[in-house]
Amino acid sequence: MKRRVALKVVGATLGAAAFARALAPLAQLRDDANMDEFLQKNYRELTEEQVGDVIARLQADARKKYGRDDITIKDPHAIEGVEFGYALNLSMCIGCRRCAEACHKENNHDRKTNNSYIRVLEMKQGSMDMGQGNADYDHPVPQKGKYYMPVQCQQCDNAPCVKVCPVQATWKEPDGVVVVDYNWCIGCRYCMAACPYHARRFNWKKPEIPADEINPNQGLLSNRVRPQGVVEKCTFCLHRTRNGQLPACLEACPTGARVFGNLLDPKSDIRWVLENKRVFVLKEELGTRPRFFYFFDV
Amino acid sequence: MARALPLLPTLAALTAVIACNAPVQERTKQPAPGPASHPVTIRQPAALGGLLVKGTSANAQKMHVGCDTCHSLRTPATVPRDTKQLSSIHRGLKVQHGRLPCTSCHDSKSPQNLRLASGERISSAEVMRLCGQCHGSQKRDYDHGAHGGMQGYWDLSRGPRTRNNCVHCHAPHTPAYVGGRPVLPLKDRFLSPNTGGNR
Amino acid sequence: MKAETTAASYPRFLWRMFINAFDGTWKFYVWMFALTAIALVGANAWAHQVVDGMTRTNMSDHVSWGLYIANFTFCVGLAAGAVMMVIPAYLYDDKEMLNVVIIGELLAIASIFMCLLFIVVDMGRPDRLWHAMPVVGRFNWPMSMLTWDILALNGYLLINLHITGYLIYSRYRGHKPNKRWYLPFVFLSIGWAISIHTVTAFLYSGLGGRPFWNSALLAPRFLASAFVTGPAFIILLLQVVRRLTDYPIGERPIRTLTYVLRITIVINLFMLASELFTMFYTGGSHLASAKYLFFGLHGHSELVPWAWASLFLNIGALALLFVHQRTRDTKWLNIACVGAFIGVWIEKGMGLILPGFIPSTLHEMVTYKPSLTEWKITLGIWAAGLMILTIALKLALPVLTEKVRAASADAEPADATAEE
Repeated sequence: MKRRVALKVVGATLGAAAFARALAPLAQLRDDANMDEFLQKNYRELTEEQVGDVIARLQADARKKYGRDDITIKDPHAIEGVEFGYALNLSMCIGCRRCAEACHKENNHDRKTNNSYIRVLEMKQGSMDMGQGNADYDHPVPQKGKYYMPVQCQQCDNAPCVKVCPVQATWKEPDGVVVVDYNWCIGCRYCMAACPYHARRFNWKKPEIPADEINPNQGLLSNRVRPQGVVEKCTFCLHRTRNGQLPACLEACPTGARVFGNLLDPKSDIRWVLENKRVFVLKEELGTRPRFFYFFDV
Repeated sequence: MARALPLLPTLAALTAVIACNAPVQERTKQPAPGPASHPVTIRQPAALGGLLVKGTSANAQKMHVGCDTCHSLRTPATVPRDTKQLSSIHRGLKVQHGRLPCTSCHDSKSPQNLRLASGERISSAEVMRLCGQCHGSQKRDYDHGAHGGMQGYWDLSRGPRTRNNCVHCHAPHTPAYVGGRPVLPLKDRFLSPNTGGNR
Repeated sequence: MKAETTAASYPRFLWRMFINAFDGTWKFYVWMFALTAIALVGANAWAHQVVDGMTRTNMSDHVSWGLYIANFTFCVGLAAGAVMMVIPAYLYDDKEMLNVVIIGELLAIASIFMCLLFIVVDMGRPDRLWHAMPVVGRFNWPMSMLTWDILALNGYLLINLHITGYLIYSRYRGHKPNKRWYLPFVFLSIGWAISIHTVTAFLYSGLGGRPFWNSALLAPRFLASAFVTGPAFIILLLQVVRRLTDYPIGERPIRTLTYVLRITIVINLFMLASELFTMFYTGGSHLASAKYLFFGLHGHSELVPWAWASLFLNIGALALLFVHQRTRDTKWLNIACVGAFIGVWIEKGMGLILPGFIPSTLHEMVTYKPSLTEWKITLGIWAAGLMILTIALKLALPVLTEKVRAASADAEPADATAEE
């Protein structure tokens, strides 16, 4: 009887040791662990002062990690009387993917995967069927008989991703941009299942960018280097557009197929496009009400 | 059933607990955009008002010869219908602009200048006015930001904007837009030849 | 001996249960040791996944849910179906069923634990689990179906823990269980079982961007397949319990479950046929996922063998059930149960989750095959679930057969017709 008990104690000890050994790799996370970050609340529940503290901490971490003193993280707010709209001219897009490249550089995306929020589809002329489209082309553009359709986050008014997030880590800002709080997202990827436009990306690992390629002008809710295990998406470059600048993808477009501006300004370029061109949205029947419009010149 | 009634306030309390979250903090918005106070600059391509000629200069630079270099010194022959009728200079100039003769755009008396449809002479720096006369829809689109691209600010009360000139992308003698190769090829982990494939 | 108070007896009860969990025959030790080894391999793989990131899996931005969520969905069904016996036992007051109902409820508990584990390992940031808790986190209820699922699954777990805990503890004390303390919860668990799987189905069927899932029939299909896997597993489990213990299990429960299985397999197949008709007859681009699943698309046909295997397993199981009815040979019943179980596992996993992502919303074909890490973690969780089930049965059954009793139980009036 006593031997049995002794054997059981030995067995239990070995079991506990094996369990500790099995979970040992978790110890590598000790350096990244930060109590303030662990207890941080959802961005929308933080006061401006608390946001300032968060930014200070993130900025200090980023500067240390990349050895760059010029990294600044800001949190620009929405502008009064401004709601962003974006239009894309399918007659003008030549599929050069410079927009995707600009997004890749502007938003501090992982270099190895050539990640970008924009996915350009080479479509067959005469068909809107994306099943006959192809995103993986690598020949001179534009090809005869094809047209090109870049797709990015549509910043939907009735966004399915916002509906399904269990922790409200993603929401629609007053100026129309759907943002993600990278420090609140739990990485369940329900929003990625819900999005009809393949707009969201997940950080399957920590993004790796060489320090000299980092874009130092960063936004808290947009292009700061995101942590592992969270979802991210196009934010219409809100760290730029909320300062009055054009988004990076638009600046890079060589043909001028992209039009951006304030939907509430009757004199804006985007309003002119919506009022004078034959404009449509993708998957309109889903009722998502995007803020991203497509048009042809003829 | 009556025994279940005490459950109702419990259920109500539970629902309140589950459904209510901490209040959302108000964020003060930035002030509305002011009147446009910054300029929109249309860049002038270097090639305007001259030609890039073959060869390089003594310090290995591309050579750009202004029109006036020759046209202020010599009186040109009658401007022909096309370059093949020229005797020497500008003979090799490739022109693929519909079936337009040279005098559609160039002032026949001073070919280094351009002419509008009315015959009015304009300098080559004002080429966009001429383009816009035949290509009105494109010019209209351009004026509304829907053609030709831009860099800078959408909010002109905060910063300036620069635009391309028509001839930045559309060389006046061969205006058809030349594409190129796409950049940033896809490097997704699980792309296969049949992902979408070069179909 | 004086009658004991609950406050004094309960801690001792828990301690005795704890000791009994580690005490058994050599077969028990071998079984638990093997399961522990597998579970630890899974735990280690998960630890690596947390550190290195989900890149250790083969999921991608296109196929963003895979083996974990497939197994999660299946285990929710198993948990719902496990409580299927409650309906005949309590609603029809079938005394012989009452003995085995508790086995179903214990299976439900083990399944829910597996569900919760599958969710935790699928999260990109498991350290942020508290964000999803009401009050302390930010709970997007009622809009997000995932929040309904969190409430439903945890509630179901608590209900079953209460019912089984109360009944076992009452038996341990030699008391007759007070109907007021468990009967309402039993009836609640019937409706709750249906709602856990309905809510899980609504997770998928509410997404307009995924036409393969966006069907009103998805929730009924989930329930039908849940009521295939639950009874199938329990039929096998009851025979195992009968062989390894002397817990009294009559023929009637197994017969009742077999009747149920015959019907639910047919309903499940019928619903599948209904979905396939709608998709294939209408055609168009909404057909793409179903085409990929059954016939391949654009040169990709990874799931085709799985889809047809699942179909044959389900139909074959139905055929074997009729053979069993004729020959009364239990062998056919058991093979049918195994076949139906695996058939539904494939149908809910490969056959449901993956085609929802292939082709993607932009109609790109990016395929998915689970990585070694994913298999290790999945098998580890199944092993952990089996461990929980084994321990639960090992603790419960001796108490219910009165082999394990409180010392004070003999002094208290025992009731010959004690019900469970």
